[in-house]
Order: sequence, then C-alpha cells, then structure tokens
Amino acid sequence: MENEDKHWKQDFPINRGEAIQVSRRDFAKLLAVVSGGMVLGNGIIAAKAFFSDDEAIGEKQKICTKNDIPVGGTKSFVLKNDSVPYILIHTEEGEFYAYEQKCTHLSCAVYYKPGTLKIECPCHNGWFDVKTGEVLQGPPPRPLKKLVVTLQGDDIFVQHPKTENV
Amino acid sequence: MSNFRTGQENAHPQKKSMIMSTLIVVLLANLLIQIWLLYTALNNALDGHQEVAYSTFIASLVLFLAGTIWLYFLPKNVK
Repeated sequence: MENEDKHWKQDFPINRGEAIQVSRRDFAKLLAVVSGGMVLGNGIIAAKAFFSDDEAIGEKQKICTKNDIPVGGTKSFVLKNDSVPYILIHTEEGEFYAYEQKCTHLSCAVYYKPGTLKIECPCHNGWFDVKTGEVLQGPPPRPLKKLVVTLQGDDIFVQHPKTENV
Repeated sequence: MSNFRTGQENAHPQKKSMIMSTLIVVLLANLLIQIWLLYTALNNALDGHQEVAYSTFIASLVLFLAGTIWLYFLPKNVK
C-alpha cells in the first residue's frame, strides 16, 4: 500500500514544510504589520507632542536663597506639577545655573564636579559645560535641558525657557 | 475578463517568484525609512522640537498605506 493512500493523511492535512517554514507571502504580511507598529509609535510621539502641557510647569518658581547653596555646591529640586529632577548649581564664578538632572544618553543622574565648571555623568563618563549645558565629551547625544535662572534680591527663581516670555 | 492581477497569477512561476522578491524588497525599504522617521521623531522630540513628530507621522502613515496596498499584488502559490 502506497504511503499516499494511508488514512492518517486525512487527519494531518498540513504539509510539514508549511508548518515549520514561513512563506514569503506571510513574511510580506508580517512586514506590513511591523510597518503599522512604526506608525503607531510615531503617532504616540506626535500625540504626546500635541497634548503636552508646558504651561503647567511654566510659571516662575522660587527654589531657595543664595545663602542656601555654598560656592561650588548644588541643590536638587523638582518643579511644581512635575516629577523631573533638576539641579541648581552655584559655580566658583558666582553664577547660578539650573539643569535637568538626567543625562541625555541613558537618563543617569548628573552631578556638578566642583572646581571644573563641568557637569559629570558618572555612568558612561559623559561631560557637559556648566555654562551652556553643551556636551563636552562622552556618549550623550544632546545638551542638558536648561532652566532660566533669575535672581531677585537673595531669592533664586527658575523658569521653563519655553514660557519665559509668557 | 482578465485584469492585471489575474494575469499576474497566470504568469510563469519564475516570474511570479521575481515579483514576490521585488515586493518584499520594496516593503523592507519602506520599513527602513519608517525606522529612520521614528528615530528622527524621537530624537527631535527629546531635543524640544516636537513639531517634527507631526510630519514624520504623516510620512510614516503614507508609507504604511502604500505597503498595505502593495500586499494586493502578492502572487499566490509561489514556491
């Protein structure tokens, strides 16, 4: 009796090749599905951009007074209605700067290294200029996000740069 | 009456195989462009230029629709 005529073939109608291999037709459909995923990801970024509310964190906020931070010292803070950590730096030149305390590479916490006028990311040896936030060295792809610092008497205020003129 | 699609099905298997490979190459190229668009949108959004995400989204959507329509031309029963 030929193998082709055996009755068990009716119970297993799928060829082994079809079961264990992906056809080019299925692969093309899979590519279209992945393409849809790309659109979805891009749509989420666009939606987040459209619905983000910078006004809520845009008001001028008092952080501390000049005497609270020694020369070369720093103070960590968060803005109202926001959870992003920031760092206020009192440099040896007597200036105050405020930056987001998240490295633009992989979001490690960054620290000011006293005496160098540089901000360090210890995770992957990234360095930023304390005056501008620009990358000096290492893997970070973008400058640190900077807040606008204003002094009124002894009080130190910070403000989101996008809403500075609102 | 035969249209382009049915005529395509009646083509020589080797020709259908070539059509299939070409379609996949174009779909892969579309996908690569979409990955680049997503990368650009994310990098610009993190850099504060969020408006870039709108145009990359539209471009990505157009490529996705083109890729989906492209599937109509996939030949059947190609080994």
